Amino acid sequence: MNKRVKALALMVVMTTFFTGPSLAAEDAALLKDMTSVIALLGLPCGQVVSVIKKGDNDHIASCQDGNRYRVFLNAEGRVVAQKQ
Amino acid sequence: MHATRLIGLLLLLLIAGCAGVERTPPQSGASPAVAVEPSATRPTEESVAKAESPDAKTSAKVPVEQPGKKPSATPSSGKKETAAPLDLTALETRLKETKAIGVFTKITLKNQVDDLLDQFRAYYQGRAKVSLAELRQPYDRLLLKVLSLLQDGDPELAREIVTSREAIWNILADPAKFATL
Repeated sequence: MNKRVKALALMVVMTTFFTGPSLAAEDAALLKDMTSVIALLGLPCGQVVSVIKKGDNDHIASCQDGNRYRVFLNAEGRVVAQKQ
Repeated sequence: MHATRLIGLLLLLLIAGCAGVERTPPQSGASPAVAVEPSATRPTEESVAKAESPDAKTSAKVPVEQPGKKPSATPSSGKKETAAPLDLTALETRLKETKAIGVFTKITLKNQVDDLLDQFRAYYQGRAKVSLAELRQPYDRLLLKVLSLLQDGDPELAREIVTSREAIWNILADPAKFATL
């Protein structure tokens, strides 16, 4: 029983240790991606500080300057940033 | 006890290794003709000697390599700078493959490249009221955007794009070449 608890604890620690940074890296990549998209579209933003995923290829990006954009892929295959 | 033996063995190996390396510099420094033998027969010894005394070895190797087998090794590294400029297809492929920019950014860039190509198409079909010189501005702007996105994450691709800047423009500015896109 004691061994099982130890094994379980080890698994939890290892999972947290390895998946935590990778998720953080993914988040950072998405923030960077959204920042680049909004800048490419010439919209005021500064840096994207948080992203909420609404669906596939559909996100709400909150900017450093307080602006919020819905960034999504429209039917024509264009990336659109719509001010919220 | 075990640890002492192990340390003793390691020290012995280290001394033996150092003793073997110390002999090489006088040989190479004395006559370049002697240095030909190890390079031809045993490349491993040569690589060890390289790490030990770079000054002595390089000065000895330069005259050896010129008449010897390896004249192609040094020019190839120099040729890297003068790589052939990219065409649009190659540029597109490299941009698709790079990990420096995210998926949404790539799609946005593709949209903007397509928009620019549409402007060129309109110009060649006589539908646009802009001149070729005026089209250079959006082209430069788009290239700058791409470079700013790539310069940190993929500096090599950014450098290649800078070198290809005029080559790509020449394709766009030539109606015959543009028609083949």
